[in-house]
Amino acid sequence: MAAPGMRSVGASVTLSADTGGTFTDLIVDTEGELHIFKALSTPADPTSGVLDAVELAAAAYGIETADLLGRADVFIHGTTRAINALLTGGTARTAFLTSEGHPDILLFREGGRANPFDFSQPYPEPFVPRSLTFEVPGRVAADGTIVRELDEGAVLEIIGRLAELEVEAVGVALLWSIINPEHERHVGEMLERHLPGTPFTLSHQLNPTLREYRRASSACIDASLKPLMADYLRTLERRLGCAGFRGELLIVTSQGGVITAEEAGRAPIHTINSGPSMAPVAGRKYAAAEGEVRAVIVADSGGTTFDVSLVRDGVIPRTRETWIGLPQLGHITGFPSVDVKSIGAGGGSVAWLDDGGLLHVGPRSAGANPGPACYGLGGQEPTFTDACLVLGYLDRDFFLGGAMSLDEAAARDAISRHIAEPLGLGVEEAAAAIVELATEEMVGAIEEITVHQGLDPRSTVLVGAGGAAGLNIVAIASRLGCPRILIPETGAALSASGALLSELTAEFAVTCFTSSLDFDRASVARAYATLQERCDAFFARFPAETVRTVDFSYEGRYPRQNWEIEVQLPSTADLAAPEPDVLVASFHDAHRRVFALADELAPVEFVSWRARARAQMRLRERRLARDVRSGPATRRRQIWLAGEGWAPASVVDFDALPEGDQVFGPAVAESSFTTVVLTRATVAWKSRSGNLVIDLETAA
Amino acid sequence: MSAQSALEAPSAVRLAVYANRLRSIVQKMSNTLYRTGRSGVLNTARDFSCAIVTNDDRLLMAADSLPIHVLSGPDLMSAAMRRFHPELRAGDAFLHNSPYHGNSHPADHSLLVPVVAPDGRHEFTILVKAHQADCGNALPTTYMGAAVDVYSEGALIFPVVRVQSDYRDNADVIRMCEMRIRVPEQWRGDYLAMLAAARIGERELLALGEEFTFPVLHERTEEWFDYSERRMINALSAMPAGQATETTTHDPYPGAPDGIPVTATVSFMPDEARVEIDLRDNPDSFPCGLNLSEACARTAAMIGLFNSLPAPIPTNAGSFRRITTLLRPGCVVGIPEHPTSTSVATTNVADRVTAAVQLAIAKLGFGHGLAEAGGFGAPSAAVISGRDSRADARPFVNQLFLVLSGGPGNPHQDGWLTFCHAGNGGMLYVDSVELDELMFPILIRTQRVEPDTEGAGRRRGAPSVRVEYGPLADDLTVIYAGDGHVNAAKGAAGGLAGSTAEQYRRDLDGVLHPLAGWGEIVLAPGEAIVCKTAAGGGYGSPFEREVELVARDVREGWITPARARSVYKVAVDATGALDRAETARLRANAGLEERGEP
Repeated sequence: MAAPGMRSVGASVTLSADTGGTFTDLIVDTEGELHIFKALSTPADPTSGVLDAVELAAAAYGIETADLLGRADVFIHGTTRAINALLTGGTARTAFLTSEGHPDILLFREGGRANPFDFSQPYPEPFVPRSLTFEVPGRVAADGTIVRELDEGAVLEIIGRLAELEVEAVGVALLWSIINPEHERHVGEMLERHLPGTPFTLSHQLNPTLREYRRASSACIDASLKPLMADYLRTLERRLGCAGFRGELLIVTSQGGVITAEEAGRAPIHTINSGPSMAPVAGRKYAAAEGEVRAVIVADSGGTTFDVSLVRDGVIPRTRETWIGLPQLGHITGFPSVDVKSIGAGGGSVAWLDDGGLLHVGPRSAGANPGPACYGLGGQEPTFTDACLVLGYLDRDFFLGGAMSLDEAAARDAISRHIAEPLGLGVEEAAAAIVELATEEMVGAIEEITVHQGLDPRSTVLVGAGGAAGLNIVAIASRLGCPRILIPETGAALSASGALLSELTAEFAVTCFTSSLDFDRASVARAYATLQERCDAFFARFPAETVRTVDFSYEGRYPRQNWEIEVQLPSTADLAAPEPDVLVASFHDAHRRVFALADELAPVEFVSWRARARAQMRLRERRLARDVRSGPATRRRQIWLAGEGWAPASVVDFDALPEGDQVFGPAVAESSFTTVVLTRATVAWKSRSGNLVIDLETAA
Repeated sequence: MSAQSALEAPSAVRLAVYANRLRSIVQKMSNTLYRTGRSGVLNTARDFSCAIVTNDDRLLMAADSLPIHVLSGPDLMSAAMRRFHPELRAGDAFLHNSPYHGNSHPADHSLLVPVVAPDGRHEFTILVKAHQADCGNALPTTYMGAAVDVYSEGALIFPVVRVQSDYRDNADVIRMCEMRIRVPEQWRGDYLAMLAAARIGERELLALGEEFTFPVLHERTEEWFDYSERRMINALSAMPAGQATETTTHDPYPGAPDGIPVTATVSFMPDEARVEIDLRDNPDSFPCGLNLSEACARTAAMIGLFNSLPAPIPTNAGSFRRITTLLRPGCVVGIPEHPTSTSVATTNVADRVTAAVQLAIAKLGFGHGLAEAGGFGAPSAAVISGRDSRADARPFVNQLFLVLSGGPGNPHQDGWLTFCHAGNGGMLYVDSVELDELMFPILIRTQRVEPDTEGAGRRRGAPSVRVEYGPLADDLTVIYAGDGHVNAAKGAAGGLAGSTAEQYRRDLDGVLHPLAGWGEIVLAPGEAIVCKTAAGGGYGSPFEREVELVARDVREGWITPARARSVYKVAVDATGALDRAETARLRANAGLEERGEP
């Protein structure tokens, strides 16, 4: 669906399409103006959903699809193709080649179990079955010396078996290939020669990181995605080309950057979190537009999940651990990625009582089908959306801009039967309890990325995005003590809009272990030179005027700590002539920041060195085009306020609201894509940048 | 919708909110300890716990951690703290590792921090307990199985000793530890990590008290206990009525040459929603380190119970109200009298107690209880020590956490592969081979599942794992204290026993020499220690295992076609292809045999 009204389009446009679970969002950037379009996603053939959205946009402009695509120099795409294939088992038949004696790396993982008393959970399956795992005779030690030579004859035999078993992809991860890649590289050459056409991934090339499970998992996941992602990207490029697109196709990565479609085909593992990774990028941008902020919490709330991330001092948060599925029980990607914490709490989250009479909301979601009871699609269980409808937060006749109407009686009935009656509460009280508890879950998720990191949420700005965020964002901010909330004008398509701001990025890492006790200056300088070379090679592809940035960091720890932390290289450190004192001081600082303690007496161990190269594509201000839209005539309705009951609230049209006009709670601000509930003691206005700014008086 | 209203909302909501807030506090503490700890027992095995106790010694909330840590113990330690230190002040912290005063065993150092409100009232107690890499024992291990008493263990014992006042260290105590504990900077790093975790918990609880007032928190606490008790009542009401007794035996050991039989009698009274576990009919303490502390005896029994109950039930003083554990002073699985050694109290015999309880419950009806988990203490989890010539011959001592398998078959699932042992429940993380080889001068040659070792059953136990490692250029001391070499993990409800543990020294010529189930071994460069860990027992008859699962087990290399045929009565080839007709015939005959017909 598109916001109504005929639009005009410029001679040159940039397109950004993000394929989500329910909708494919398209943002057209035309000479500084942004237009949002939403088409239904088409999971069986995602390319169709992308093209549908483009057609929708072309129709809105009154031009041919080929004409619109012909004006685009760049098409940026965030895709769920890889993650969907991984979650539904649609990846290639993949074999795992490992060091002799260690066939069960993917089976043992790194141990761990969720609940010690819950025996109903099965032990997780390895990413590659044992029957497709092969041990390669040969062994390298921690210092790179060869303990046992590679047995080429044995490798040839294995390759013969791979052909017989009709393997479609191969992941290779040998112990210590990060220190001495000779064996792994040789196995790669033999695969190339004797199993031509079958894609493979070598762990030291893809992800030169310490810890065999992480590297092996990276390599196997990547290999398993190669056939289908190469196919998907080829098809997308071809069909866009046939439809008139002549520009460059860029793919959003888990690291919050973009890479060319060709690069994405070569290392498709980087596309796993394509999409959500862009939310903090966009959130940072919108918060910056409203003035200087030290810390921004970006909350993206959709149908099934609540995704939060924290942008501190303008730095996009990163995590070293990204799992497909649950941590410890799923499969680790082995790569750092933009740190977006996701919990099962969204519009579709189901409210239920346990056998002790305690209320829970989520993590199970009614999804889009059957969906919340009020969708009228057969859903019987009460959800967060149902509660919001009962409390007057949602307008039953103006959901998604009127594209869908909601059944309030069904919502009341579901809440009454499942929650209110068993607890002896009124329906509204039960609904308020559901919203309150969902709010608590969301607050808990935010606290984990703020308070746990030593950051007081009272000094942050909360950015709310996604269709469901506005319903309880004020309650969340109030609970956390955040004085200010920001609802970005493109919040309903945050990832797609974030992608427009992204940079072409590449990440490089070198493992070079040394301690501050006997700091190996020469090796560190060599590692730095290697990183520099790789960054230079990456930048060589861009025109001279491109803005280039390299962020260097290292991973360090105290002796015998198991877990490194990633530390940005201080500006005073020069890795060409590295001084341990400066590095040690930066580590103590970072450790104190994360864990509230530093052991100044202890030496520091440095494990690996990283560089992240970024090339800024364009710098241009963009604004959402203002549409004149006819909403329903109601300008006032009753909403339920916690601790108070029904209260009259004014209803304002977010899009039609003049800049700077203040709206005082209780009120509801509605647009085609989202609804924002303003409780008492709040004041909101539309800023010059077009965002809705909400200040909480109590928290000020 | 302020926070204030959240705790005054209808009880279903405010309780959920309160529990979430408490859980978030203990998780925050755990995360700090896990990420900053220095020794493998902390930062890999997660052998620690963080908990909140009421000001009258009741366990309120514990972070998900090793089961042997979190059920009973916090209550006893809190009581000892109040007995020895009637006056508690803000800024106090107490170091406690005495197994005679509620701690588990001397290698677990606990920190107790009273949460004292600005008006001077003691409101809650924060507890952080962490297994140390070394605790000053006579030998470089934290498991002194052969110690005849606490004196021959050698560890420093701290019966709730004030280690901080006014938030400052009592340096005397720190220096005592530094003079007695090996690799003292590692201990100090772990102490700092524990202290940080405890102080974070204190800070958060004080903030919560300021937000809601402590009287309100204490009210919510009682509601939380009542709710947890209701959950327990529901679970116990659904258990079969009756009493059952089961015995399982720890392997022979120095000081206990005939092994240590452990008997548990479990009585369910569903009408009253109560359960009683009696451990009194067991031998007196032995002159070795395997005796249990009171905390471990109670906890081990409760693990067997909670393992057997359906839904996850909150584990706190509320749900515990329905459980009676009967112990006897001076008993090997009771209340030890000083100077009885309890050095190995958290693993070996404790695991046998858990097993006896869940095996007894399994006798009460199919679908209840569990099989026995594989015994702990194989060399894959040995304490290794020596000097590292790669780094100026620096000394090291640390416990390895390579894979210990052993998960018990149960009514629902096959045994958990990285279960470790009953008191751990699979919660530990497993070492990275590369990280171990980087940190210590060793080469880990093999780590793999050993086929045909699982305790067969409708749900099979986790199979043994074969692990082999040895030193590079320096001598390596390996100390281990294993169980399950003689007495295998028992099956339940018709399931079979798991394969027993074995270990060997591999000499320079590659020849294997068998080793005892416990020992201190010095390996020369080029030699290796080889171990096969104890497998878990199976649950239910192997003849009832779904043929497709047996075929998958063959295809995936967990069992051979020969074993599929002889034990599971399934005809399947090495690729996993089933011969259904032959299988039907095999299983029909097996049924006849079982009923004693020709």
